[in-house]
Amino acid sequence: MCFLCLFVATCSAVSRRALIILLLLAISFGCKSGAGQRVSLPARVTRVVSLAPNLTEIVFAVGAGDKLVGRTSYCDYPPEAKAVAEIGDTLHPSLERIIALKPQVVLISTSSQLEVFTQQLQNQNIAVFVTDPHDLEGVFRSIQEVGEMLGQKDQADQLVTKLRERTTAVEQAVKGKQPVRVFYQVSSEPLYTAGHDAFVTDLMRRAGAASVTANVPGAWPKYSNESALAARPEAIILPTGGSMGSVNSDVTEALRQSPAALHGRVYKINDDYLTRPGPRAIDGLEAMARALHPDAFK
Amino acid sequence: MLEARDLTIRYDDRTAVADLTLSLKAGEITAIIGPNGAGKSTLLRALNGQIPRVSGVIMLDGQPLERLNRRSISRQIAVVAQEAELRFPVTVLEFVLGGRFAWATNSGWGWETERDLEVANAVIDETELSDLNARLMNELSGGERQRALMARALATEAPILLLDEPTANLDLSHQATLLTLVRKRCDQHRSAALVVTHDINLAAQFANNITLMKQGRAVHSGTPQEVLTPEILQEIFELRVLVDAHPITGGPRVTPIISA
Amino acid sequence: MNRVTLRKTLISCALLGAVLLLAIVSMSLLGSERLPARASLCALASLGSSACGLTQDQFDILFQIRLPRILLAAAVGGSLATAGAGYQALLRNPLAEPYLLGISNGAAVGTMISLVFFGAIEWTRPLLAFSGAFAATFAVYRLARGRAGATPERLILAGVIVTTFLSSVIVFVTTLMDATRIRSFTFWLLGDLSGSSKALLPVAITITILGALALTLHARSLNLLMLGERDAFDLGVEVGRVRMVVFLVASLLVGSSVAASGSVGYVGLVVPHLARLSLGSDNRISIPAAALGGALFVIVADTVARTIIAPRELPVGAITALIGAPLFIYLLKRV
Repeated sequence: MCFLCLFVATCSAVSRRALIILLLLAISFGCKSGAGQRVSLPARVTRVVSLAPNLTEIVFAVGAGDKLVGRTSYCDYPPEAKAVAEIGDTLHPSLERIIALKPQVVLISTSSQLEVFTQQLQNQNIAVFVTDPHDLEGVFRSIQEVGEMLGQKDQADQLVTKLRERTTAVEQAVKGKQPVRVFYQVSSEPLYTAGHDAFVTDLMRRAGAASVTANVPGAWPKYSNESALAARPEAIILPTGGSMGSVNSDVTEALRQSPAALHGRVYKINDDYLTRPGPRAIDGLEAMARALHPDAFK
Repeated sequence: MLEARDLTIRYDDRTAVADLTLSLKAGEITAIIGPNGAGKSTLLRALNGQIPRVSGVIMLDGQPLERLNRRSISRQIAVVAQEAELRFPVTVLEFVLGGRFAWATNSGWGWETERDLEVANAVIDETELSDLNARLMNELSGGERQRALMARALATEAPILLLDEPTANLDLSHQATLLTLVRKRCDQHRSAALVVTHDINLAAQFANNITLMKQGRAVHSGTPQEVLTPEILQEIFELRVLVDAHPITGGPRVTPIISA
Repeated sequence: MNRVTLRKTLISCALLGAVLLLAIVSMSLLGSERLPARASLCALASLGSSACGLTQDQFDILFQIRLPRILLAAAVGGSLATAGAGYQALLRNPLAEPYLLGISNGAAVGTMISLVFFGAIEWTRPLLAFSGAFAATFAVYRLARGRAGATPERLILAGVIVTTFLSSVIVFVTTLMDATRIRSFTFWLLGDLSGSSKALLPVAITITILGALALTLHARSLNLLMLGERDAFDLGVEVGRVRMVVFLVASLLVGSSVAASGSVGYVGLVVPHLARLSLGSDNRISIPAAALGGALFVIVADTVARTIIAPRELPVGAITALIGAPLFIYLLKRV
């Protein structure tokens, strides 16, 4: 550091200025990346806050509900979760409230884009556990990791085993059947769908569906009406109900003459099953598979 | 042609003009002179119909002003203000043609007639702006712009001209040119003009009548000889002045006495 | 530049109209789905009576999705540019435009209220948008009235106050709504021509045409207003009446656009400016030219928005800003 100062002092004016700027940049960058300091978890975790509905469901599912001291206003399942203190919504959680609850670890889903927030929590010596399952395997992993962290390893493993069984059962049932060409409608106006990186795209694949937007880059792209029409989907999935209420219960105009709409193959499925990468995703998987391949589940 | 009787204009608690009676006659230039805040500009605006609530009456050719619509007033009265807002590029010809608006058959739409162009070109010649016909207004000098404002007012062919300190930003030669133009109009076309000005000596040379205002009142009115006396001027401006005869024109010449 | 005459105006408008027609036809050949060019042109020429060999899907894409969208883009662009031209003439400021005055935010709040409380009832959208636009105009106008009358400076300041206040209201409402609705609003607030039912399209087009006509019929008054309210008054313009007409018509135009497509920025600023730069400040030519030019501008911008990352779409407002902002900087330097 001193050496650098000397070096800088001896340089000519112009290059000195450049060097100082570079130095400042390096220092600030170093400070930023130095934040990768891991806050170590205590041996027993007894107080945890969840910042995403799927994570809340996972905590309860592995039997650690009593350890949850804070949740977002969207965490509404299971019903017992509603008794837990609220710390704001998924996009704007209150740092003060979280700190006041004195958790040892906070569970964050990266889809909430809380990178800055993460930094602030770590500054308060609160460990942060980030998970963002893109597919079903990722969900199983998350369940096991959370279970292990909260001292519920056995229960977590049992849960995952059961979920895997159900998954395999579905996959077996639809194996060999022609995948149904499906359009997943997130919202009708403007038209949004599930893209390559969406969690539900993996579920659809396993449920014996060929999502017409499976290769569209991104997770929730805004989709062209023309392309939706030209895709001629055989079935349409409308994630609705649950915490969403009755929004999105109509097929978008461009698809009203599609084979799916004309044959009545429009399936409304609980939005919470399909958009929360947690244990209920299997419910979503089963619901989709039954709707798309009814004959496989007699 | 245009007269005000017992005109009183009040703003909130202030009285801008009080019990003022004034009459403009064809072929005459009337100068309004007074200290700042005497109500000169307010008077001018009222004569144009711009001030809605006045007590007293303003008659245009025997008709009360408030009974007339905007277009008919504009055909009779033209105003020459000090400056124009020129935030959009417009040529001199287009600017002067604006004066023909009051004569348009459709209000708000329509195209200029042959007559409109004739009149516009004539006044542009009169104000010596012919070479600058196609130039943009904001490329002109202050004096040229003032002449364009004059041209526009003349293009309305209105017999009554109200000028609000028209010589304020002009150099000596342009001051003379402008007032000569007004004089010519009054002499040749029997127009009437009201000129609000600070320039007493110029007024003395061009005006038929001078009205001196103080605190909203028309205190003295008459020919330049009659009203430009040291006593009256001291009363109006609270300043000692010397009034002598102009060596060439013979009219009154006013010089303030500033004691060191 | 020469004086504007009827002949010059008709020729310019005819030319612009022809370019607009060309744009409508050519842009309808572009989209996220490939359509056979010759067959499409044939179908368009027959005005939809013959499919000319297009499949049912292709026909539907062309006539049910693309063409209505292009026509809506034209209506929105024409409305916004006309409104912008009107405000600039009225406020004697080449930088005045609906967004600056908070009119579009007012319309946005109105539309939001209709979506939240009357979601299913479609006609409430444009109605509440107009109400919002009018309310915003009224607020701006009252705020701006000082003793000297509503000077441009006061008006613009009042507009900024109203805009920022309404923006906060919009943010407040969006945070109260759940996550799925927020995304729609975000996109909608940046301009989106993909939605909007067919029923509103004829209304939007009618309003654009009537609005442009109404302002053009006051063009001569606006020419004088542009050079000073007092001067205009002196020369015979009924300033109060013309001012009210411009406010009403412009609010109608902006309300109609925002209800149909959300906030599409820069159109009301850049297009009238370009029209005046190339054809002169005379409103008799620059207002119709702005209307036609605005339609053209948004049609092209929307075509880019819906083809550049196909099958995904960008908000049209992003494209108009990307084109408009640098163009505006360039124009500022020239002025």
